[in-house]
Amino acid sequence: MTALRPLVQVLRQVCGTVPGALGFAIVLVVLGAAIFAPWVATHDPDRLDIMNRFAAPSAAHWLGTDHLGRDLYSRLVHGASIAMAVALSAIAAALTAGTLLGILAAWMPPRGEAAVLILFDVISSFPSLVLALAIVAVFGPSTFMVVVIAGITLTPHFGRVARAQVLTLRSAPFLEAERILGAGLPRIVFRHILPNIMGPLIVLASMDIPVVITIEAGLSFLGLGVRPPLASWGVLIQDGYQYLSDSWVPVVVSSAALAVATLGFTLFGEALRDAVDPRIRQER
Amino acid sequence: MRAETARYLASRLVTSALIVLGAMLLLFALSALVPGDPAVTLLGPQATPEFARQFIREMGLDRPLHERLWLFLTNVLTGNLGTDVLSGRPVAGMVLSVMPYTFVLTFGAIGLAVLLGVPLGVFAATHRGSLADNVLAFISVAFIAVPSFVVAILLLLVFSIWLNWLPVLGAGNADDLWDQARRLILPMAALAIGWVGFIARLVRSSMLEVMAEPHIRTMRAYGIPERLVTYKYALKNACIPTIALLGMGVGRLLGGAVLVEIVFARPGLGRLIYDALSVRNFPVVQGAVLVVVVLFVVVNLLVDLSYSAIDPRMRRGGAAK
Amino acid sequence: MTALLVSIRGLTLEARTARGTARILSDIDLDIGRGRILGIVGESGSGKSSLASCLLRLLPANVTRLDGVVDFAGTNLLALDEPAMAAWRGTRIAMIFQDPMTALNPLFTIGTHLVDVIRRRTPGLPRRDALTRAEAMLERVAIADPAQRLASYPHELSGGMRQRVMIAMALLAGPELLLADEPTTALDATVEAQIVALLEELRRDIDGSIVFISHHLGLVAQLCDDICVMYGGTVVETGPVAEVLAAPRHPYTRALLACEIDQDDSGRLISIAGEVPDPIARPPGCVFAPRCDRAEPRCRSEAPALRVVAPDRRSACHFAETLA
Repeated sequence: MTALRPLVQVLRQVCGTVPGALGFAIVLVVLGAAIFAPWVATHDPDRLDIMNRFAAPSAAHWLGTDHLGRDLYSRLVHGASIAMAVALSAIAAALTAGTLLGILAAWMPPRGEAAVLILFDVISSFPSLVLALAIVAVFGPSTFMVVVIAGITLTPHFGRVARAQVLTLRSAPFLEAERILGAGLPRIVFRHILPNIMGPLIVLASMDIPVVITIEAGLSFLGLGVRPPLASWGVLIQDGYQYLSDSWVPVVVSSAALAVATLGFTLFGEALRDAVDPRIRQER
Repeated sequence: MRAETARYLASRLVTSALIVLGAMLLLFALSALVPGDPAVTLLGPQATPEFARQFIREMGLDRPLHERLWLFLTNVLTGNLGTDVLSGRPVAGMVLSVMPYTFVLTFGAIGLAVLLGVPLGVFAATHRGSLADNVLAFISVAFIAVPSFVVAILLLLVFSIWLNWLPVLGAGNADDLWDQARRLILPMAALAIGWVGFIARLVRSSMLEVMAEPHIRTMRAYGIPERLVTYKYALKNACIPTIALLGMGVGRLLGGAVLVEIVFARPGLGRLIYDALSVRNFPVVQGAVLVVVVLFVVVNLLVDLSYSAIDPRMRRGGAAK
Repeated sequence: MTALLVSIRGLTLEARTARGTARILSDIDLDIGRGRILGIVGESGSGKSSLASCLLRLLPANVTRLDGVVDFAGTNLLALDEPAMAAWRGTRIAMIFQDPMTALNPLFTIGTHLVDVIRRRTPGLPRRDALTRAEAMLERVAIADPAQRLASYPHELSGGMRQRVMIAMALLAGPELLLADEPTTALDATVEAQIVALLEELRRDIDGSIVFISHHLGLVAQLCDDICVMYGGTVVETGPVAEVLAAPRHPYTRALLACEIDQDDSGRLISIAGEVPDPIARPPGCVFAPRCDRAEPRCRSEAPALRVVAPDRRSACHFAETLA
């Protein structure tokens, strides 16, 4: 229970500002929808009802129906699950790869370190969406490719922060002592480095959630990510966009859901950063 | 001094060359790693076996890998980006014909974003802590957070469909500049909006940082009008991080342009890649992606050069960064 | 005593800090004679730089209270609104700063800085004419090759050269009151000597008064007519330099003098035993009492007023008379 106290304190600080509180509320709603989608949804998101295409919002269909008569609200709720699943997997992958590369870079001889840093620079400044197009052209669209592309794009964020943290830690007296006592690299990394750099990395991870959501929605919108009939927000927006002349409701509703979610996660991430460590600047 | 400048520029050039080379190798590797029969992947399953065999021979796909790599590299260096599988037209020509559209869109968007973002940032900095500052801060985050293709769709819906103020799709009649300009407004705005937020925020924070520096105090101590202190002395300093941001952001901007071009059905590099993608026309994708990468590298080099134009300390070498 | 240019009465400055409200300046009374050079000395944190900032009214945003009167030739500067105050800066008051490394904008040439200062006094002067004037002034502050220096950027100049540029800037403004805030502290000893020599040489050319802030008593003795000793945000002693240094009427001045004699090689003060008072929790009574070897019970309860102890001399010590 004592471990929860700093968490509660940080969250209280996040909610202390209007944008932070708003962001936290949105994050809770999206997470709630994502986790409890089967219970929160009012309909089967994939059940067609051709007779009921483009139904206006009503008691039966809270946000109306799409071009195949599917319940939009339920599809949006399941979209949250997909967005969260993709975001968490991509960030977990990037966190692991980036942290390892970052720690390695800090311990490597200067030449190797420089090579890793150039790699980070190249990836993070590269037109990643354009590169994604090339990758998808070869391997075909899939949810897995979205995770891979987003993971690669985000790896340098974590790598740079991990490296910087290790560099400042490396001269810390307690590590000095460990080294003199003959501790090996793995021991130092797992006992001392990782626990100490986790804070900034978690902040960064929360700030990257909206980035992944945007990448996923963008690729899915182009038909290059999550494939229909899976109810990704990008797919919903594409569906709505296709039938814009029939009804504007689906596209507006799904665009709004995506926009509110990315905004909420961004506000939350920034408030979290300010609460945990105002010194971490955006690494993008 | 001169030697350091030269060394800095040389290292930037080498990095740029490495990026382009890396992209070429990656694209080549992707084309070589295509799972399954390359002919089927590139031509689609509809192609007849005879045509596929002929195609494989023509594209040199039956030759050993290293020969194909060499051929690819030398071809690209001589400006030969390959041939469109479907129409047989050279890819370089196709890319060149749509490039102006993407150019106008992206650079127009950057211009618009700078034009709006810089004054907003300066205003927020000079009115620090006010209600307007807080509102601007929230708007900036909102602009940054909302994906540009969502903005594009909503702009299209509101201004073209509901209000019917602006034409909907396409780049417009080639002979009608007015028509083209009108059709450029919404895509440009959609692409620019996120950058307005980025730039406003960055200019605000850099302005606040600069305004606290001793040299600004000097100018104030000599009664230099606040207008001059802010817009001449402080703003120039605050521009440096903004230029860095734009340099790093060009990649993102080009990515955003792809999506916006598709929403507004505009011709351009993004549209070209996307259309080629949907029919698995890999040579076109390959060529166009390579051109985007080169574009990106060139813009980054220009940004580096503009640093030294603005900051005399940079002329000594890579002191900053 | 000569006619007064500036007369400060009851100047009090408070600022908000993370730990609480800090009293930076407390009830300062100080006169600056016309055409005189006033040296202000004191340890760091004594409030000397803040006093200069009050005269220019260039104060940080966390200031919560600014009271008193700064009478400058009949005008109370503290009562002016910001535009009116701005009209005084760079015309009647100018300032030379401590660190010439950061006092000039790195992105603009020396010429641009000087031209804007000249145009402040002569609006609309063509750039070429302004540059000619600036060049002449650079020559006067002994900068070699002035025409080329105008096109230089600050980072291309040495520290001493930049301080000469700052002095040229001040001379171009031609102020009635020139504030020099530790103008030689950031420079090494040789350059410091050159700058002091330049200031001595220029004092004939400057019509107005100069406030020379320093923690170096020797410099003040060399350069100034009058002295003002500050401690813990208050003025503890004022008077003509020669008299004050010959026979201090405040224990703090005595302690400073004793330190000056025991100067270390770098010429910096060896500090007096004890700590400077905390501006957030100031001691009751005399601010110097906790460190004073003559302090008596009265000193710890009753704050001594700055009072006349001899012609032209004031001291804030209950026992000023017995010190002589």
